[in-house]
Amino acid sequence: MESPQDLGDEELVALCQKGQGHYFDVLVRRYMEKAFHIAYDFTRNKEAAKDLSQDAFLRAYANITRFDGRSSFYTWFYRIVVNLCLDHARRNGRVLWESLDKTADEPGGQRQWVDTRSQPDQEAIAGEASRRANVTLESMPNKQRTAFLLRNQQGLPIADIAKVMKTTEGTVRVYLHRAVAALRQSLVEFV
Amino acid sequence: MENRVGPLEGACKSYEEDLVLYYYAETCAKERATVEQHLAQCLRCRKFLDDLGRVLPQMAPKPELPQAFWDDYFRETLVKLDEQSARQNWWRRWLQPMNGWLLPAFGTVAIAVFAIALLLPKSNFTPTGETAPVNIPAEVLVDSSQLEFFKSLEILESLSTLEEQDSSKPEKKTSGIENRRLAQTVA
Repeated sequence: MESPQDLGDEELVALCQKGQGHYFDVLVRRYMEKAFHIAYDFTRNKEAAKDLSQDAFLRAYANITRFDGRSSFYTWFYRIVVNLCLDHARRNGRVLWESLDKTADEPGGQRQWVDTRSQPDQEAIAGEASRRANVTLESMPNKQRTAFLLRNQQGLPIADIAKVMKTTEGTVRVYLHRAVAALRQSLVEFV
Repeated sequence: MENRVGPLEGACKSYEEDLVLYYYAETCAKERATVEQHLAQCLRCRKFLDDLGRVLPQMAPKPELPQAFWDDYFRETLVKLDEQSARQNWWRRWLQPMNGWLLPAFGTVAIAVFAIALLLPKSNFTPTGETAPVNIPAEVLVDSSQLEFFKSLEILESLSTLEEQDSSKPEKKTSGIENRRLAQTVA
């Protein structure tokens, strides 16, 4: 007998659609880190990211019967996560990524624009570079930012980003290039 | 990490977008070959690509969270899912005991109403509220002539009572008014 963990997304979804909701637990286990990190990229806040990503699971489960299998489960689910994050940003205003300094306190969150053993003035420059980069991200149009975060942070292929954003691959390429160009422009003095 | 603080030079304009996609490994084989051919002879574009490789991975690093965080996350999510299911299903549970007979009952009532609606135009039903004739025994029915007859009897009884009173009392001359009233009553 095949273990539920060995089943593919589509099989698990099909079982959920037949009323065997406990199979959704496997999907939660499988995608919770991805969902959390997407939400974290948008919010830069651990609690908000947790709430938003958990809310995405609740919505996915509530609408599981509407999933028609035309796309993969994860692009369908990522779309829910991204939409919730964008709604959250609209409701609360964009969160300035000033948490860059805060992330330095978290394990693995240390920014390293320059060598940490560098001189104090270089550290100050690195801090300013971080701040500018993140202000630039915040000021980007939502679509550019979404394309950038999904590609750069989550490593989604452009084809999947296009499905998540319900647009063409060509459009995603343009968003991505513009986002990178804007970031590069903001860091022109620092890199 | 390279400790370098200096201006970021731009790439050749016509290659910039391709270089971004090349960096993300999103170019097809033909585009990749073209970019690599250009990179071999363009220092600016090589430097641009090198800058992308240094800067972009450092954008918004993922927080490293302990396993306990993920265990709590998973447990909380399942609790929330259960609560959501309970909220969504309360009305289903409420209707559950009736599921056995509710549908057939509604079906029967619907068919009966439909049948009555079909039959009504063919019957003698009149929408004015008139009742259909009923066979009432003749002895129960009282027609208007019989009612008049009983009224006359009452009047005659009244007259006989008056006459008795008159005969028991000394003869008294009735007034013209009383005579007329009596005559009217008799009439």
